[in-house]
Amino acid sequence: MAENSKNHWRSLPRERDNPAVVDAGARDEFPEPPPAGAVQLDRRGFLQAAGFALAGVAATGCQRAPVEKAIPYLVKPVEVTPGRAYHYASTCGACPAGCGLLVKNRDGRPIKLEGDPEHPLSRGGLCAAGQASILGLYDSRRLGAPLIAGREASWEEVDADVTASLDRIEAEGGAVRFLTASIHSPTELASIESFLGRFGDARHIMYEPLSSSAILDAHQRTHGVRILPRYRFDRAKVILGFDADFLGTWISPVEYTAAYRSVRNVDTESNGAESNDTRRAYHVQFESRLSITGGKADRRFRIAPGEAGAALTELASRLAEKARTSFEKGSAPGSSVPSDQLVSLAERLWSAKGQALVVCGAQDVRVQILCNFINHLLDSYGSTIELSPASNQRGDDDQALAELLEEIRDGKVDALFLAGVNPLLDLPLGTDFPEQLGRVPLAVSFAQRNDETSEACRFTCPVPHYLESWGDCEPVAGVVTLQQPCIQPFGNPRPLLESLAAWSGESQSGESKSSYDIVRATWQQRFSGAGEAGDFDAFWKRAIHDGSITVTAAPTASPSEAIIGFKSDAVRAVSAARPIPEGRYALSLYAKPAMLDGTHAYNAWLQELPDPITKIAWDNYVCLSSAAASDLDVHQGDVVSISSPEIKDAVIELPVVLQPGQHDRTAAIALGYGAKASERFAGLGPKWLEKRDTVGPNGRVGVSAARFLQVAGGTLQHSLTTVVIERTARKHLLATTQTHHTIALPEHLAPRGAERREVVEETTLAEQWQRLHSPHAAHQEHHGSLWKQDHEYTGHRWGMAIDLDACTGCSACVIACQVENNIPVVGKDEVSRRRDMHWIRIDRYYSGDDDDLEVAHQPMLCQHCENAPCETVCPVLATVHSEEGLNHQIYNRCVGTRYCANNCPYKVRRFNWFDYAHDDRLENLVLNPDVTVRSRGVMEKCSLCVQRIQEAKIEAKRSGVALTDGSIRTACEQSCPASAIHFGDMNDPGSRLAGLLENPRRYRVLEELNVAPAVNYLKIVRDGKPDKQGAPDHG
Amino acid sequence: MNSRILTMTLVTGVFIVALMTLDAVATWPLPGSQQGYEPVQPIAYSHRLHAGELQLDCLYCHSGAETSRHAGIPSASVCMNCHKFVTASLGAVRAEDELAQQENRRPREVVSPELAKLYSALGLGDNREPGPGLKPKPVSWIKVHNLPDYAYFDHRAHVGAGVNCQTCHGPVETMERVRQAEDLSMGWCVNCHRAANQSGIAGRAVDASIDCSTCHY
Repeated sequence: MAENSKNHWRSLPRERDNPAVVDAGARDEFPEPPPAGAVQLDRRGFLQAAGFALAGVAATGCQRAPVEKAIPYLVKPVEVTPGRAYHYASTCGACPAGCGLLVKNRDGRPIKLEGDPEHPLSRGGLCAAGQASILGLYDSRRLGAPLIAGREASWEEVDADVTASLDRIEAEGGAVRFLTASIHSPTELASIESFLGRFGDARHIMYEPLSSSAILDAHQRTHGVRILPRYRFDRAKVILGFDADFLGTWISPVEYTAAYRSVRNVDTESNGAESNDTRRAYHVQFESRLSITGGKADRRFRIAPGEAGAALTELASRLAEKARTSFEKGSAPGSSVPSDQLVSLAERLWSAKGQALVVCGAQDVRVQILCNFINHLLDSYGSTIELSPASNQRGDDDQALAELLEEIRDGKVDALFLAGVNPLLDLPLGTDFPEQLGRVPLAVSFAQRNDETSEACRFTCPVPHYLESWGDCEPVAGVVTLQQPCIQPFGNPRPLLESLAAWSGESQSGESKSSYDIVRATWQQRFSGAGEAGDFDAFWKRAIHDGSITVTAAPTASPSEAIIGFKSDAVRAVSAARPIPEGRYALSLYAKPAMLDGTHAYNAWLQELPDPITKIAWDNYVCLSSAAASDLDVHQGDVVSISSPEIKDAVIELPVVLQPGQHDRTAAIALGYGAKASERFAGLGPKWLEKRDTVGPNGRVGVSAARFLQVAGGTLQHSLTTVVIERTARKHLLATTQTHHTIALPEHLAPRGAERREVVEETTLAEQWQRLHSPHAAHQEHHGSLWKQDHEYTGHRWGMAIDLDACTGCSACVIACQVENNIPVVGKDEVSRRRDMHWIRIDRYYSGDDDDLEVAHQPMLCQHCENAPCETVCPVLATVHSEEGLNHQIYNRCVGTRYCANNCPYKVRRFNWFDYAHDDRLENLVLNPDVTVRSRGVMEKCSLCVQRIQEAKIEAKRSGVALTDGSIRTACEQSCPASAIHFGDMNDPGSRLAGLLENPRRYRVLEELNVAPAVNYLKIVRDGKPDKQGAPDHG
Repeated sequence: MNSRILTMTLVTGVFIVALMTLDAVATWPLPGSQQGYEPVQPIAYSHRLHAGELQLDCLYCHSGAETSRHAGIPSASVCMNCHKFVTASLGAVRAEDELAQQENRRPREVVSPELAKLYSALGLGDNREPGPGLKPKPVSWIKVHNLPDYAYFDHRAHVGAGVNCQTCHGPVETMERVRQAEDLSMGWCVNCHRAANQSGIAGRAVDASIDCSTCHY
């Protein structure tokens, strides 16, 4: 441990710099003071209390249990047995990435989403937003019937009105526009195309608030086709990221995380190349704000938002030199990154030619063209970047979007259909836009909820949740997956496919087509068109069962023929962005891994999930570096007013958050907040005297910053605006968990020399390599014990290993655990009082300085200690050790003394301060019937998914087959896109876990306490950082 | 003398009362115990007839007991396997036959009033055929054996280990209406688990864990 003990810190101002001013919360183990003096109770008082208690007990003894009904099927489907869970393969619809799903159905309803391990892209992982999307299914505020001008109507009325208008528009030759999010469903695309086919002037336009349009535009210019390539991080040896949060929010994070992990894992043989220098992929990130991707990088540079172009120009000129290609660098001012750093980086890229990958998140076509040029010089196309098969995960076209907005403003659009988009929330539209939208003669919104945009449209057509409907997806050309309904729709929504079929005049025969028929017909056509042998029915059944379709023929409209070799005539040097004017800050509008573009703003789980970096829940805020904050003389939580001279009337007020590792002239604000959908959270949380509201003064969660987006140069730009920040006198309470549940020891309690506890441990690549190849690898610490070894563990002995080197902090595990274990939502106020209920939290630690910041994420859950401190202090034996090494929490025995939580060194126990609301009966359908819903006054904590262990054990006994390693996967483990978590039997010498316990990186947190946790960690592996001394100094 | 007799009588009385109280306390049900619960069901289904007299296997109807945590209540379609043809008790059919013979007519079909409820639940009319305007409506049985929400009992594990249904449910085959025979308290469960660990079930050694999480999670 001692060989590389670093100072890890959690919050600003840093403990090391100024211990006196540290947020008191970071030091205090317990938030509230102990009661002053013992409670005085006289004889009379005691008798009164005793009598009351006795009467209470007697009264409960008298009551009869409520009558419970058991209602069986009338005719039971053969394949269903009540009480057994069934898994159906489907595709996630939470974002356009299209990850594979296994939907766990219990007693006729989906209760949990699991990643499909056989999916070629997501490889078994599922992100936080995907995990939480099941809550949307049981949302009682979803629309159940279509609306005409805000009034509930029948589908017949809507159909009559819409078809009449469409007939008129067709006759008059009016303009019809279809605006959607990125769609890659072959059937949906074909449906929209055929629907629009009858109109003379019709267009289908896609857009994404988190636009990647510039990448597509750049490929149009350099490769002749407007496509998004498929990035193969799993083939890269050197990865360069420019403001692209590809592990968190960029395009397809789950796919990229799995691929990234496969080339970063130091334990796999393929990464154990000849020397330790080329052992694993080297990752450099240039970014203006700290993202989780930047946190994983080996080297991270802070650059201003518009500076990527300059750095790429430098790199391009160096690489062009090496490739003996001409490149006019021009007299552009260089980037702020020191040129020796860029030289060595170019060297590194060049030496990994064919195995290098440069990705850029900038929404500037010129910068993206440069990025393509560099990738071209490095021979990345064909190896780490695939143009064929290309990705369909983004099809957005901001140029077309801009034209459409112009047309709407000018009143040139006769019919506008909006599906899966909410432009009034996420686009920089003027205040008069709703009115302009209202003037469109036929405005139809397909939505699940009545959002900002639906309100402005005359017709609102409810569409079902993706778990209720049929569909198909083709996230990458040739990778086709299906969506199948796992429950009957709630209310009376109608899939987009059926509405389009009803309005295309195809259903004149009187019989309406079901979306199942439409999807099936698409594939029947392709099946026979491809000349596939065999029976279509068998093929179709297998496809539904597997969740994916494999057709040998190329997709119908393959652009691959059109791809041309690299056209370098478009490549131009990009000078540094115009300097940030004095007194202003460059604004970087970003997405948080859970909230994304705001589509999920209705989702309480995602709102309560602390951001992986700032650890703040239930709010957005403006992130500033410490230097910027001291320039402005603001502190964390101070409300500032943000305005931009470039955008008229755009002023928002947000609290400040001090963010280490952020560029000093950058202000960063998360998108997706301030949505109408978050109005529902008013009044959320337990009702009591000191309750504070979850929503802000605007009645919503956070404030929308979409006004600061700009459409410029044909793209929707996230970081073009510069803003003026002025302080106000007000403060805002931020619900941050970063100082909660601290493992640090209060100074006055620490023994000399142990003030600082080493919780996160790190190793270096060189050391790791050395150890791996030295004979005595595993390093174990043994302590003497006061306790006698009274646990024998003759059968299983459950344990876990968490690879901190793999963990990106994405927090998918937190939501997976919340769904699996019926963890309640408590609201912002309760979170700020340290009463968040998550069983697994991710502690985030920083080390180093702003310019050289290193981030460590540590998933922290009940450690299931062998010598558990909680067990010895429970007066009622409500927490006990099992024969299999688990630490049990028995809710029905718990009387709520909270001694166990006080005595837990890892601070992983959660107390039910209230009966958290379970009033919404529809929402209660998402509860896992295999896990008790805890009531007030009860302690709870991670059980290592004991319900899954029991299920697997009983099932193994029943079928007479021994439990195999990997047949039990905890919810967190199952969901992890990086496969950082491994659960298993420590007594099984052949298990994966047993192998990991032998890993030289293995350690246990607070080993010195000798509580002997069953949860092990693997150290983070840092790169040796050979060229650290030349670290740049940013003003 | 009188006072001595009085004292002795009083002491004896107090002793007897104390004994009676102790006895009563020992047999008092635990708070929440539903032992002896025997609710009236929507259809007067007789386990005595089916499981006792006709000796139907428990698993014929409660087929989930082997494969699921819930033994399950049979769906109405399972009843119809027999009751598509058997519409009344043998006695009632014979009586009708005799009556018909006496009156010299064809015997009419006899449908017992309880089975009529089953047919109406399935939305079946005359001749057990679905009729127009008849809406199926599932039968709302009343659960007899209820465990608290924080206790998870799994039928699979017990049936697989060879535990007889009667061990927990009592002599159901003798009950006209099902009654909760045991108190289903935690002590009762744990005692059985302990005994099973020591002496096995039906001669086979079993592993009946008494870890808390065997039932509570």
